Amino acid sequence: MAKSSFSKVDEYGFERGDDFNYEAYEEFMSEYLPVLARRSRKWARLMINPNSLKRGPLVKRYMRKGVPAEHRAEVWLWASGATQLREKMGPNLYRELLNETHDNEVVSSIRVDLPRTFPDNIFFNQSDQCEQRNQLFRVLCAYAHHNKRVGYCQGLNYIAGLLLLVTKSEENSFWLLKILVEQILPDYYGPTMEGVVVDIDVLGELVRLKAPAIHRQVSDLGLPWPVVTTKWFICLFAEVLPVETVLRIWDCLFYEGSKIIFRVCLTLIKNQTNSLLTCEDFGSLASAFKSLSNDSSTLHCHLFMKNIFQVPGPLPTSTIIRLREKISQERHKS
Amino acid sequence: MANRGGAAQRPNSQTQGKICQFKLVLLGESAVGKSSLVLRFVKGQFHEYQESTIGAAFLTQTVCLEDTTVKFEIWDTAGQERYHSLAPMYYRGAQAAIIVYDITNMDSFGRAKVWVKELQRQASPNIVIALAGNKADLANSRAVECDEAQAYADENGLLFMETSAKTAKNVNEIFLAIAKKLPKNEQVSGAGSANQGRRLVESDSSAKTAGNCCK
Repeated sequence: MAKSSFSKVDEYGFERGDDFNYEAYEEFMSEYLPVLARRSRKWARLMINPNSLKRGPLVKRYMRKGVPAEHRAEVWLWASGATQLREKMGPNLYRELLNETHDNEVVSSIRVDLPRTFPDNIFFNQSDQCEQRNQLFRVLCAYAHHNKRVGYCQGLNYIAGLLLLVTKSEENSFWLLKILVEQILPDYYGPTMEGVVVDIDVLGELVRLKAPAIHRQVSDLGLPWPVVTTKWFICLFAEVLPVETVLRIWDCLFYEGSKIIFRVCLTLIKNQTNSLLTCEDFGSLASAFKSLSNDSSTLHCHLFMKNIFQVPGPLPTSTIIRLREKISQERHKS
Repeated sequence: MANRGGAAQRPNSQTQGKICQFKLVLLGESAVGKSSLVLRFVKGQFHEYQESTIGAAFLTQTVCLEDTTVKFEIWDTAGQERYHSLAPMYYRGAQAAIIVYDITNMDSFGRAKVWVKELQRQASPNIVIALAGNKADLANSRAVECDEAQAYADENGLLFMETSAKTAKNVNEIFLAIAKKLPKNEQVSGAGSANQGRRLVESDSSAKTAGNCCK
């Protein structure tokens, strides 16, 4: 194999496993680097005066084409409304939360998950006392204390961990976590995870409408949608798709809201129509779903993100709202 | 969702090379080692810090008995309490379950008992349940006595072993014990719907395991 110029650790600190395909990655990066350079120039112009950022078609297009790493934290805080929320709730909230006494049971469940969060990332796996791990611990404890109904839900560790890797600030991570859990997503992380259960059914319904053959195949072979998609929703594709792709998805998620998740799910599923339809039994179908997130189409994040706005077809917010209401009502009737 | 395999149920003219497929689910409190047991059994590996499972993971592995190959469809689940609402989906139709606790954590043993009750009440009536006291390599920090767990398992008709995903102690053994206990003949007739969710796949499917699969 040709010698690769890429290191064994990626720019976010994730170790590349023995099976990492350097050749495919190199091919991807040769296409992606010019894109990054172009986006970086365009954003630099926009960010000369960050206060002039305004919601509108231009910024929406910019978000969809990717926020450069150097601006990501700032842009996420702005796009999600976290900056305003912090001003409203008081800039000291995070520090104050840290000083309060936290529930022991919650704290110990967070502690158990610390070494199990990104064990393949050098910022998190170095030692028990590594700084990022301590930051992750504090962000999760502060948030659990702040939102006692949600407390700590497994999966939030990955989200907060990735927020820390991007923002390099525990306080900013806290605010972004808060806004994701409380405003961007429906009730995904509450005590019964109702929002996830509903959204999984919404997705099932969307697949039925937009990819009926796959829907038939999945129900004929008896694979319940939650088996494949629970992690997609809970982790917002962290630990599911390549990290660069996840961050590109989050660029849109913070700006456009939770509808983006359905666009990504539908694209993942529709991209693999052939391999899903050729499965003959339950086991091979489950494996096919597992491998669709490793497909090279998800590595090519720029094209993938273009596809999520084309492949699923129109997806009005009103449709999502209507389906959520309908499914939620049906659940409570039964 | 019966007969999801769609395999032809032909009269069983020849028993040799028979392959039985069973659904097995792992349940238990968070961080007791469910995923580690599966990783050890399926891939022979162990990671000191196994990522926490979100939702569920699906793997398969086969074991060989004298004249039968048993193929396990393994459903590994998330342990945190709030994921409980998703659990019935995973154990529905399961013919076997391994309920895991951590021998250094008394609470996890209590949680295991709750799982046993739930399965006895809600899962398939003939489900084979095994109780695994994992992290047996940490016997110095033991909080649950082996005798106590054994007595509980006997009372409830469970298979029981102390296991260690780290050292591999009793990992293959517990799956093998389950494979032995699972009924492998009754479904041959294919009569009626009593064996819903269970399939007998004759040697035509996934045939690579038909011959010598014991490693």
